Amino acid sequence: MAEPPTLGDALRARGLSRRALLKYAGWMASLMALPPSVVPAMAEGLAKARRQAVIWLSFQECTGCTESLTRSFSPSLEDLIFDFISLDYHHTLQAASGEAAEAARHQSMRDNKGKYIVVVDGSVPTADGGVYSTIAGQTNLAILAETVADAAAVVAVGTCAAFGGLPQARPDPTGAVAIDKLVVGKPVINIPGCPPLPQAMAGTLTQILAFGKLPELDELRRPRAFFGETIHDRCYRRPFYKRGQFAKTFDDAGARKGWCLYELGCKGPVTYNACATAKWNGGVSFPIQSGHGCIGCSEPGFWDMGGLYRPLASSTRPLKRVVPIAAAGGVALGAGAALLARRRLADTSNTQEET
Amino acid sequence: MDPLSDLQPTAGRAGAVLLEVATALEGLSRDQQMQYTIDLHSLPMDDDERAWLRARLGSGEVRAALDVAGHSTVDETGFAGVWWVRHGDAEGRAGLEQIVVARVPALLLAHPDDVADAAGRLAAAVDEMVENLDG
Repeated sequence: MAEPPTLGDALRARGLSRRALLKYAGWMASLMALPPSVVPAMAEGLAKARRQAVIWLSFQECTGCTESLTRSFSPSLEDLIFDFISLDYHHTLQAASGEAAEAARHQSMRDNKGKYIVVVDGSVPTADGGVYSTIAGQTNLAILAETVADAAAVVAVGTCAAFGGLPQARPDPTGAVAIDKLVVGKPVINIPGCPPLPQAMAGTLTQILAFGKLPELDELRRPRAFFGETIHDRCYRRPFYKRGQFAKTFDDAGARKGWCLYELGCKGPVTYNACATAKWNGGVSFPIQSGHGCIGCSEPGFWDMGGLYRPLASSTRPLKRVVPIAAAGGVALGAGAALLARRRLADTSNTQEET
Repeated sequence: MDPLSDLQPTAGRAGAVLLEVATALEGLSRDQQMQYTIDLHSLPMDDDERAWLRARLGSGEVRAALDVAGHSTVDETGFAGVWWVRHGDAEGRAGLEQIVVARVPALLLAHPDDVADAAGRLAAAVDEMVENLDG
């Protein structure tokens, strides 16, 4: 089979000059907090790369991850990622269906053996032999095993694929399991979020293409470029946290002044993601800027963290980890809020003991 | 005018950026090949600070518009060698803003591969023209 053209040649055939890659690399480097000096090398790396074969598997998911990537707000720039990859199988987006769709997956696996990337959204049900989700008569478990066998790498997009997500929330009736618990012997990258930032998905694939290697990952296999800091670290409301100015309800005077939403359940201090800098809807806003606390959707078990509106320091499971982080993040008044939250927990515990 | 002579105490973070631009421009005056980029998107400046910085740098003689993967503008500022680059999305919102300190920003230069491709296409067009004339 003839080798596909380089991305530089393919774009030129479409009438796009190398400036498109330079512009894309500049935008991506900005999102990934890379120094502008890497932009020429990233653009050159992309120009010499060949279109990457991608097989996208959707398991127990809501299609929000696909929506996030395909409904981006800067179509001219963000959509370039679809020029960089050959999306050989995606049962929601592809025109083919039934036998033809599955044949396309097998064809890509044969043609790109050892080179293709498998993107997975959704968790895999394992209870009762995996019968709770099947495609073309095969369980998700079987399709995953078959497809990753000859893959170069696996990218788990969305919190369901990365950590189990909503399907794994108590009582977890399907025995939902994250992808990295099932894939052995292949590199796995997690890009969590509900949905994940489209820039994180596109940026990770771009980095692999441009530099020919996997990005640096944290202990949860998340790319550090997008998950290296907490929402709280880069939140524009953080000065209010430091001054101990907290909204007590969503419609009080503090809320109207844009004060910190920590006491309204914001999970920003323990949530690693780039929403505060990359933002959503074309850079318009992110949840905290729109007046709602971060729900921690890119963290494992976020659905069972004790309630979206329950202050971090008063929740049960992550308390020991959270309170010191929150107290260390602010000065005396911020620490005071953590202390109040501890008291709230103590009150809650006493109440529970009494009942 | 010396960009440092009019620094207002209220310039805040924008003032720090202006200092960085001044240092880079001094570097460009010594090294003509230099390309130095400041990514404004990643800096925690508010709209007032950004507007102050843009006004302080002023406007120069060159304004270039690029229609490649969205609309971009490359404006020379009032200081030769300092360019304000803005990449917009389909709706015209700024997706990325940069200050580039260079004689000409790399984005405006034609890439050698594009030039080679263009030379081949133009030569083919000339050959076709000659053939038609001969015919």
